[in-house]
Amino acid sequence: MARFPDYKEPPEALSGLSVVELPSLDPMPFLAAAMAAKSMADFGAEVIKVEPPIIGARERQLGPFRDEMPDPETGGLHLYLNTNKLGVTLDLEDSRAREVLMRMLAGADIVLNPLAPALSARLGLDFAALAARFPKLIIVSVTFFGTDSPYRDNRGGDLVATHMSGVGFETPWHQVTDPKNQPPLKLAGRQADYLTGYTAAAAAMCALFDRKNSGRGQHVDVSQWLAMVSMLRPNIGVYSHESREAPIFERTRARLKRGAQWVYPSTDGWVSFNAGTDRFWRGWKNVMGKPDWMDAEMFGSPLARAGHIDAIEAAIVDWLSTETRQSAFEKAQAEHVPCFPVHTCSEVAANPQYAARGFFADHDHPTAREVRMPGAPCRMSATPWRLKRGAPRLGEHNRAIMIDRLHIAPGEFDALKAARVI
Amino acid sequence: MPRLPLENIRILDFGWIYAVPHATAWLGALGADVIRVESTLAPDLVRFLTGTDGVPGFNRSGIYHSINFSRRGVALNLTNPKAQEIARRLVARSDVVTENFTVGNLPKYGLGYDDLRKIRPDLIMLSGTPLGQDGPFAKTVGFGPTTQAFAGLCHLTGYPDGFPCGIGGTWPDFAVGTAMVFFLLAALHYRDRTGQGQYIDLSMAEMVTTMIPEAMLDFFMNGRDPGPIGNRDDAMAPHGVYPASGDDKWVAIAIATDAEFGALCDALGAPSMASDRAFARLTDRLRNVAMLDAEVAARTRNFTREDLVARLRARGIAAGPVYNTEDLMHDEAFLNSGMLVKLKHGEVGERDVPTLPVRFSAIEPRFSGAPMIGEHTGEVLSELLGMKSQEIERLKEEKALL
Repeated sequence: MARFPDYKEPPEALSGLSVVELPSLDPMPFLAAAMAAKSMADFGAEVIKVEPPIIGARERQLGPFRDEMPDPETGGLHLYLNTNKLGVTLDLEDSRAREVLMRMLAGADIVLNPLAPALSARLGLDFAALAARFPKLIIVSVTFFGTDSPYRDNRGGDLVATHMSGVGFETPWHQVTDPKNQPPLKLAGRQADYLTGYTAAAAAMCALFDRKNSGRGQHVDVSQWLAMVSMLRPNIGVYSHESREAPIFERTRARLKRGAQWVYPSTDGWVSFNAGTDRFWRGWKNVMGKPDWMDAEMFGSPLARAGHIDAIEAAIVDWLSTETRQSAFEKAQAEHVPCFPVHTCSEVAANPQYAARGFFADHDHPTAREVRMPGAPCRMSATPWRLKRGAPRLGEHNRAIMIDRLHIAPGEFDALKAARVI
Repeated sequence: MPRLPLENIRILDFGWIYAVPHATAWLGALGADVIRVESTLAPDLVRFLTGTDGVPGFNRSGIYHSINFSRRGVALNLTNPKAQEIARRLVARSDVVTENFTVGNLPKYGLGYDDLRKIRPDLIMLSGTPLGQDGPFAKTVGFGPTTQAFAGLCHLTGYPDGFPCGIGGTWPDFAVGTAMVFFLLAALHYRDRTGQGQYIDLSMAEMVTTMIPEAMLDFFMNGRDPGPIGNRDDAMAPHGVYPASGDDKWVAIAIATDAEFGALCDALGAPSMASDRAFARLTDRLRNVAMLDAEVAARTRNFTREDLVARLRARGIAAGPVYNTEDLMHDEAFLNSGMLVKLKHGEVGERDVPTLPVRFSAIEPRFSGAPMIGEHTGEVLSELLGMKSQEIERLKEEKALL
């Protein structure tokens, strides 16, 4: 790319921070550590991603693939999750590879370890073993249930964490009408993995600030299950404060608790709408032209309205039967009522709001052609999010890291390679 | 007491509802002096959602208490110019300002980033909004559940070929709040090294879209506009929620390999299903997934939830009970995880509060119960601004402190 001579790279929030990301090795996709490492790499940390040789990280097999042609170098999820990272391959089952890893960790600030606790211990990669060698290292275990839970040896993952946390039981957010045929529902994609990734990234930064004071590293134990449980603070708060009988836990009655906030049909698709509070009810009354029925006592408070939710929702649906998503969005927002169109991915991709903010990032990847992907999770004015480097090819930086930086002799490097240890 | 990592950091928190208060709870627990600004004229909506022991009241919301721990509470009526001036003086003594008002509200009070950076040049300020600070639809109002619709997540969440469903727990509020902790600490780390503050403009919708990469990339790479697939997965089968005996009892099961499928069939007492040609290999199971789900569900009904989960776990299968809140609050592993802590609140006494979902070997986070509205107004104004009690009383009479 041609640049002006006085062009300076913008500064990065986490430059100088060195992070090593280990693979999970579970056949279950578990992408939390990869997301945690991405969030750090995208804001400037140097992340070395360790992958098993030959097959590579799990996300390389997951796609989406262009034209349905599986290729571990061009899967969409791999290209997205591994932006700005360096990639090396190490067979962690082999002690020679683990020695290479130890030399890598000697120069690292943070290691993200998604290996199952028992496997970590067997490979000498658990907290006790690593802390003894690297007292300044911040060791982040990212596991299904945490390393000291009675569940630590159980397998979990996105689906199990979602449903064991209670979030799945709350989904769909409104009530279900046919509970036998409408089981509790998972969130689309891998929300529990990515949330756990951000939880690990946040917690690792807490430990980094602690190290500034103490000079010591520590163990940060992140449980995917508990990360998802923390999404349900309100339910737990209600449970511990109300009498135990008060909360509504039946899925068929959820909407009594939530009021008029749900997804309703319009003429050209669905609208997410909330007229639950008094303020929004007043706003919606203005949208509707202040009809008399809305002033009736039976609609006078959130509690009163909850008792007449059927009538209110019928009115919402009736109103929307002559509105498009966009007209409903604009009319409701003009009266400060939360209302948004339900967008499909193609509509998100073409949305003028995202376009105006330059949200999507284009990257010309050497093996995957040009790829467009979601960009900055937030805008930081001094240290902007940046796509500097596409996802690494499998083992792309083996030589640069192992020979140039760790000073492994070229002969030894070739021997490790021949033995498929790297 | 060992030093907490953020002990020298002060955060003036104008945030409300869920996302921002969740973020500042993390930071307060890590030692930051979080000062929550509220007013009885416009209390946090969350204060109205529930009451304690069936009695409503500003200071009795269990939901508020479960989010707003580890902070002090100051009551400032921001529509009053004297209160705005106090807020600016507090900013001068703060490292971080957090807020999630509708775009344009704080600048109206002389409390926008451009005003505040003049007072505190190295300030870090985070604004969380539904759609970000600029762009044609910036001035929208919304909550997590409505924002996930704009961002594409709602359309993708639902039963196969069904209508879009919102997600529980007012997703993505707390997920975004957790990410905010990371962004704020990254900005503080940068300030530590360079002395520079900055402004963080977070669009909740954009954040949500960064968390649906599979679907977005499928569109960008293949032009496909994916729809909901329920509890299923593109790379695993069976992968779902299956009925156990009893009323609304379910088990979540995720099978990644053929060997795991064999173990599942064994656990269900149907070993022959493993060699059924329709199901033997993953590609078969993905192709025949509706039939597969029906076959599995027909057998899971024969077990209680607990018995089935135990059988599956014993065989190394990824499985768990589907919990509602009541079930979760009876899970011994959760109750002993250290996440649930008894905290004292000024009006309702001691209650269980869900704190941080992580454990640190060398940090003992500091938890204190949520403040009542304005509980620490006098304390904070005298400690940080040197104000005398007569002056504070006068400002209360003038309705600046309210």
